[in-house]
Amino acid sequence: MPSSRFPIPQGTLDMLILQILSLEPAHGYGIAQRLEQISRSVVRVNEGSLYPALHRLQQKGWLRAEWKQSETGRDAKFYSLTPVGRKQLAVEKDSWARLCGAVNLIFEEGSR
Amino acid sequence: MIQLFNWFRRGSLERHLDRELQYHFDRRVADLTTAGISEPEARRRVAVELGLAQVREEVRDVWLTRWLRDFLYDLRYSARSLLRSPGFTATTLLSLALGIGATTAVYSLVDQVILHALPVHDPQRLVLVDWNGDDFITYATGTFNLMPYPICRDLQQQARFLDGVLCRAEIQVILTVGADPRPVAAEIVSGSYFAVLGVGPALGRVIGPADDAAPGAGPVVVLSYDFWQEQFSGAADIVGRKVLIGNHPMTVAGVAAAGFRGVDIGAVPAFWMPTSMYAEANLDEDDLFNSPTRWLQILARLRPGLSVAQAQTGLQQWFKAWLQDSTLRPNFPRISADHRREYLATTLEVTSAPQGHSVLRHNLAQSLWLLFAATGVLLGLACLNVAGLFLARASARGREIGTRLALGASRGRIGRQLLADSLLLAVAGGVLGAAVAPLAIRGLIAFLPNDLGSNALSGALSFRLLTFAFLASVAAGLLSGLAPALHAGGDGLVSSLRERVGTGFGGVRLRKMIVTLQVAFSLILLIGAALFVRTLSGLLARGPGFDTSGLLSFAVAPLQNGYSRVDASRLVRRLDEQLRALPVASSSAAARFAFLTGGAWSNAVTMQTDRRTVTDGIINFNAVSPGFFSTLGIRILAGRDFNRSDSRPVGEIGPRCAIVNEAFVKRYLAGRDPLGVLIARGGSSDVKPDSIIVGVAADMSYRGLRDNSEQVFFPLFEHDDTGATFYIKVRGAPEQAIPSIRRLVRQDDPRLPILWFRTLDDQVSRSLTTERLLAALSGALGALALLLSLIGLYGVMSFVVARRTREIGIRLALGATGASAIRLVLRDAVVMIAAGTAIALPCVAALGELVQSQLFGVTATDPATVVTAALVLAAGALVAAFIPAWRASNVSPTDALRLE
Repeated sequence: MPSSRFPIPQGTLDMLILQILSLEPAHGYGIAQRLEQISRSVVRVNEGSLYPALHRLQQKGWLRAEWKQSETGRDAKFYSLTPVGRKQLAVEKDSWARLCGAVNLIFEEGSR
Repeated sequence: MIQLFNWFRRGSLERHLDRELQYHFDRRVADLTTAGISEPEARRRVAVELGLAQVREEVRDVWLTRWLRDFLYDLRYSARSLLRSPGFTATTLLSLALGIGATTAVYSLVDQVILHALPVHDPQRLVLVDWNGDDFITYATGTFNLMPYPICRDLQQQARFLDGVLCRAEIQVILTVGADPRPVAAEIVSGSYFAVLGVGPALGRVIGPADDAAPGAGPVVVLSYDFWQEQFSGAADIVGRKVLIGNHPMTVAGVAAAGFRGVDIGAVPAFWMPTSMYAEANLDEDDLFNSPTRWLQILARLRPGLSVAQAQTGLQQWFKAWLQDSTLRPNFPRISADHRREYLATTLEVTSAPQGHSVLRHNLAQSLWLLFAATGVLLGLACLNVAGLFLARASARGREIGTRLALGASRGRIGRQLLADSLLLAVAGGVLGAAVAPLAIRGLIAFLPNDLGSNALSGALSFRLLTFAFLASVAAGLLSGLAPALHAGGDGLVSSLRERVGTGFGGVRLRKMIVTLQVAFSLILLIGAALFVRTLSGLLARGPGFDTSGLLSFAVAPLQNGYSRVDASRLVRRLDEQLRALPVASSSAAARFAFLTGGAWSNAVTMQTDRRTVTDGIINFNAVSPGFFSTLGIRILAGRDFNRSDSRPVGEIGPRCAIVNEAFVKRYLAGRDPLGVLIARGGSSDVKPDSIIVGVAADMSYRGLRDNSEQVFFPLFEHDDTGATFYIKVRGAPEQAIPSIRRLVRQDDPRLPILWFRTLDDQVSRSLTTERLLAALSGALGALALLLSLIGLYGVMSFVVARRTREIGIRLALGATGASAIRLVLRDAVVMIAAGTAIALPCVAALGELVQSQLFGVTATDPATVVTAALVLAAGALVAAFIPAWRASNVSPTDALRLE
């Protein structure tokens, strides 16, 4: 495994999970793979921290889970977004955008 | 909340997590093998990547916060280990349940009688206004905090300090609904009463100022919610109905809000009527609106932001002027200049009264606090016992704890585990205690003196009570678990692992201190119990001064039925004559006031011997019919009894007579012949002594059995009677005479209710309810305390013997006798008992002041009582210690040495 990638910033894992699940329901392994693809060259997700995050989001009521047949024919636990989760994703995207904007502004200020 | 729910479904959560992770694991391994990595290598790599154990633990933390999970595991572990030793668990559970149950039950009464604020608007601002005034001028009539009506009326103008002033008095009236007359308790109140308290109607309206504007202005009553429900089944058309109070028609104006039961917990009124109707309530013929007679209590509402002290100081100036003014009123009595100065120097006293006013509370408060303190001590004893048992258990678990410490458990973690043990036990004990508390509360209420009081008190578990029981349980758990928890692992790791099975330090010194304290506590409770039992038995042995067997009494109050005083007098005389003629009565007599009910008719007495003197104290009076003393079996020591011709209508010229008791002669007429002395009721200068003492009677109790007062008797039937209590000496069982007596009264007036029928034995036992309450409860508490401390002593001595088995075995092997082994063990016990006694005795001396007023015929530090209690305790304790000691003397040296 290449270890030159960034560790994922604190708190963004939840947002990424919500984003992935907003496209379609997925099981834990699927989410891990999607994360791997999305962030192939940028961030590194510790697979160990994926499951606690999923259970935390489920307990908050942002995700719901059900056992369904997966593409391999075996039963897997599929997570999907609840309406509350969808709202939360919008909130997080918005605050992320504002944070990025703010940071960029500061950088531009400094480089002038 | 969700987290706690997760605890109960953690099995299924774990299973799902396992399947989920297994799926991830298998897919990843499959992917890697497809990529060409050998399967064992792939498995190894995935296991490292995922860190399964770590993931599981982190997910569990999501389900249930770590500390909560640990705590729940601790509790589960505690529950299991407690269930494994059922004997230990049952003992501790029972002693804690007992302590918590008893404390909760007594607290319930303390809360309801003493602490509970009235269910009215902002009760914290209510104050009681009292006057440390002078009884000779204002003749207060027997209860507390009484005030004349004019003060109440004038105080209402003092808006600078008070937001409103109300006055009230409790009354007994005959209420007739339909054709059914019966005596009920009511409250006569000023027009401001409901407004000041902030209590509204449930139906119709409440009494307002207009009802109270002038005498006779408001012929209305407001029913209490409970009375409306019980007697009228909550009839919706109750407003506007007519009822008879005495024989005066009144209209029901409304029903007061539910839950409001007046301002006196001991006197729950069936209804309220305005003070303007005092004549209809048969309080007096006088003009009570202007009279100086003290007959009401005054409550007021403080202005916001003012303290009680500010209001009291602020009102004095006004009150000084008021007093000055009152001496100029036409009905003010003539008094001496000294007396007048004293009168003008009296002041108003303002005290906070969020609980309202109650004679019941006044009488019971001290007894209840005493009992509460005693049950608190009992709970403390139970906790100490449990702490002792836990210490013993912890020492038996010394190796387990040592091993856990060696494996890296922190001492805090182990202490927490031990605390979980005791908390679990205490809360379980609390649940048990709370379950039996209602029974205990009802039992306690049955002991209480006032019949009315029992109506107002409830045995139900309120939220406050459950909170109290819970707090008591947690406190008990902490108290009994703290010492063992702090002690856990304190012996040092190495030594505890090195020790042999069955030994261990076990906090013996700590346990001995605990037992010493227990001995001290239980000796205090035992001495208290002995004092109260002696008080009760002393009072019972003393009796009221006459033979109560075969005596029956009943009372009528004809004035309340609208009789004039003259007619009432005639009725009493008629009934008295007819009762004497009854075949079941061997003799019969009547008295104006009932004996042994706590009340009395009293005033000073003016005597004319060679000079005029006034008694320095209040003398109790009664008016009795001829034959009264012989009916009750009271000896006439000198002179004669009254006869028929002694009664003389008020105002009629002619000789009057009186009989005094022995105590009166001893105190006021010592050394002279009492017969022929002239006396009169009252102490003011215009009183003319006109009654000749014709006889001296032996002493008898008047208000209650403790009463040893000076008494003066006058003849009954002087045409100013208010009613009477009849005393009948019955042939055979008193109860069998009741029907014929009832018939006799009904024949005379079918509308006249009999207020009560009571045998004198019953009356005596009623007058002793507080004493019986204290004796029974302190006796029970003392016995329990003794039992608990004996168990504690037995436990610690058994433990000591078990620990010293080897040493004792060696001693015996070397030639010591069994007796010396017994001495060795008993010496320890004697030291503890002696130390406990030494702690207890100064405490008893200090606490004695508190209980002295409750005692009779014995002082709080009575040597005989103290010595007896100490001997009982010492004997019991020695027996408890002897059993393990005897076991020690029977140790077989070979067995003991084999323990090696």
